[in-house]
Amino acid sequence: MFRISLFEFRIYREIMLVENIKAEFNLYKNQAEKSDFFLKREEAFAEFEKVGFPTTKNEEWKYTNLKNIVNQSFQSTCESTIETELMLSHAFLKDLTANKLVFVNGTFRTELSTIIETDSSIVITTLAKAKTAHSELFNKHFGKYAPIEGQGLNAMNTALLSDGAFIFVPNNKTLTNPVIIINIADSTDVNVLCQPRNLIIVEKSASLTLVETFYAVGNNPSFTNAVNEVYANENAHIEHYKIQNQEGESYHNNFTQIFQEANTNINHVTLTLSGTLVRNNLHFFMNGQNCNSLLYGLYMPHGTELVDNHTRVDHAFPNCFSDELYKGIMMDKSVAVFNGKIMVHLDAQKTNAYQRNKNILLSNEATVNTKPQLEIFADDVKCTHGATIGQLDEEPMFYLRSRGIPADVARKMLLNAFADDIAERIKIPELVELLEQEIEKKI
Amino acid sequence: MVHKQEKMLSIKNLKAEIEGKKILNGLNLEVKAGEVHAIMGPNGAGKSTLSAVLAGRADYEVTEGTVEFEGKDLLELSPEDRAREGVFLAFQYPIEIPGVSNTNFLKTAINEKRKYQGLEPMEATDFLKMMREKMAMVEMDKSLTSRSLNEGFSGGEKKRNEIFQMAMLEPKLGILDETDSGLDIDALRLVSEGVNKLRNKERAFIVITHYQRLLDYIVPDFVHVLYKGRIVKSGDASLAKELEEKGYDWIKQEVEANS
Ligand SMILES: Nc1ncnc2c1ncn2[C@@H]1O[C@H](COP(=O)(O)OP(=O)(O)O)[C@@H](O)[C@H]1O
Ligand SMILES: [Mg+2]
Repeated sequence: MFRISLFEFRIYREIMLVENIKAEFNLYKNQAEKSDFFLKREEAFAEFEKVGFPTTKNEEWKYTNLKNIVNQSFQSTCESTIETELMLSHAFLKDLTANKLVFVNGTFRTELSTIIETDSSIVITTLAKAKTAHSELFNKHFGKYAPIEGQGLNAMNTALLSDGAFIFVPNNKTLTNPVIIINIADSTDVNVLCQPRNLIIVEKSASLTLVETFYAVGNNPSFTNAVNEVYANENAHIEHYKIQNQEGESYHNNFTQIFQEANTNINHVTLTLSGTLVRNNLHFFMNGQNCNSLLYGLYMPHGTELVDNHTRVDHAFPNCFSDELYKGIMMDKSVAVFNGKIMVHLDAQKTNAYQRNKNILLSNEATVNTKPQLEIFADDVKCTHGATIGQLDEEPMFYLRSRGIPADVARKMLLNAFADDIAERIKIPELVELLEQEIEKKI
Repeated sequence: MVHKQEKMLSIKNLKAEIEGKKILNGLNLEVKAGEVHAIMGPNGAGKSTLSAVLAGRADYEVTEGTVEFEGKDLLELSPEDRAREGVFLAFQYPIEIPGVSNTNFLKTAINEKRKYQGLEPMEATDFLKMMREKMAMVEMDKSLTSRSLNEGFSGGEKKRNEIFQMAMLEPKLGILDETDSGLDIDALRLVSEGVNKLRNKERAFIVITHYQRLLDYIVPDFVHVLYKGRIVKSGDASLAKELEEKGYDWIKQEVEANS
């Protein structure tokens, strides 16, 4: 008897979050007007019901177990009671001269946000507002890039997204200042679920610098499930930085799909500083010739944190270039997963694709699972990949120490040097400085 | 009054091995302040091993013997403490350290040494002035200092950088491990002049070299021959000339005959 009841209990727990999601969607469904947007969400919800949350049986999720998320109950759209000033005091780059969009528990906070851009043809607003104010653009791009089929978490986001940024940069326009999206999960009162959804459209020969930051306050667990769709029209240039520093029990999944037309340049850097479980899915699709896709990442988990970077670059046209470098500094019992897929389609001749993943283990108990996946269907291509996992090299340590630099200082210098390959890809000096401080703090 | 020279380094019966392979087999050497000792010997004799053991490389296991540096047990000290006590090793093969800038590295090294001595960090302007002076001394290109440590340096530039660092750190004992190899004649003269400028009553040098050539510029007080992990012959500068003419075979034969 006892055994059976335990078993039943387990089943009940496993579907906890699914039940939350279903209840929430039903609530939404009864109130929503039956627009195109609604139909899209209904479709997404059906897909979510069909595929559910990924499990470790799924090859793409082999090392990243979501059981601690799906076994818990989370509430979305809950109010935050923390004083706003206190809240922002934790936020990264809050003093950066930038257009700032602040979302707390997925809800846009006007009083914390500032738009300094003066060109009225450039749109920096929320998804909720853009849905009506820029409905044509919205309908043209929303849900067109991030796949839903077989992607339970993307489907869940689409079905129940909270809000997010909508950015539109028209032809030939360049923003003078970056846009920074500050996402705060406040779990002071309850377990909180945030599902931000951003839609970024950069038109022909336009350029944008975009920074996304994530952080968490409160002692209850938080779960962020974000989706970004980024569209870069011909000759567009985007600098995209993502910084995750969610302390406490915080879970984070995000899916970023970048869709590139011909002659576009995208430089993307993901910095994962903290988070109980962080899964980054970063997908690039090159839909024209002469595209550059640059993907860089740095993670430095400690304790029992898990960081999983899954990237995919689709070379669908000839003469494109992609360069990928992810680096990890692994502490304590942390776990890292790196999976980089490069797809070179049949027509994508003269592709140049490079990929490296380098890890330093500062502890014997840390684990790295790294897997490059090259699928090449064209014959005239240059692709290289490589992965390293090891301790800090003895030779440079000895060299520095032999000059009178104590071991702990030497170690820091070498770890900074290791991280420097990524830091130098960041074109916002304040962000580089911040990264250096964080490295100093963490190690 | 006769000036009595201070004993700086005293190596007694030093034995060291790596991966079970015996390399130093009872080495004795005394170095006093102000002296320059040259150590010569065939390839594989253990010259670099000796310098590495003195600098504190962990790979080597000292199985017997003692090393005293200014009355302290050198072997007990960490590599950084040895450096801050005044031991400097110019490496035979200086490594490249990408991402660590030359300037930042030197500033850290100097200030760590000052901290150890209970001194305040060096003023930025003094540091820059000192850099300029010492760089000029070895004719090191200014552009090299803003680059990563030894990264992409030519062989000669790396060696010059070692001497430049030595000049900046002002050690009591400088150990030069084949600093001459890979240098053309002009660079050799420059580096030697740099070393000669650093020579004084308080400072000593151990100059490890394969060739007599370097010793034409840095004239040693003593020349020792290291063979099979021991010093088998010592003499004055003329010994180096003899070795240059006759090679090492006669020494090897002498050693074999005596054993
Ligand atoms: N890391 C090592 N592992 C094994 N043998 C070594 C190592 N380093 C040096 N040796 C051996 O020790 C001996 C002495 O080397 P070394 O001190 O470099 O000689 P030298 O500098 O006089 O040419 C050589 O036979 C060399 O092969
Ligand atoms: Mg040698």
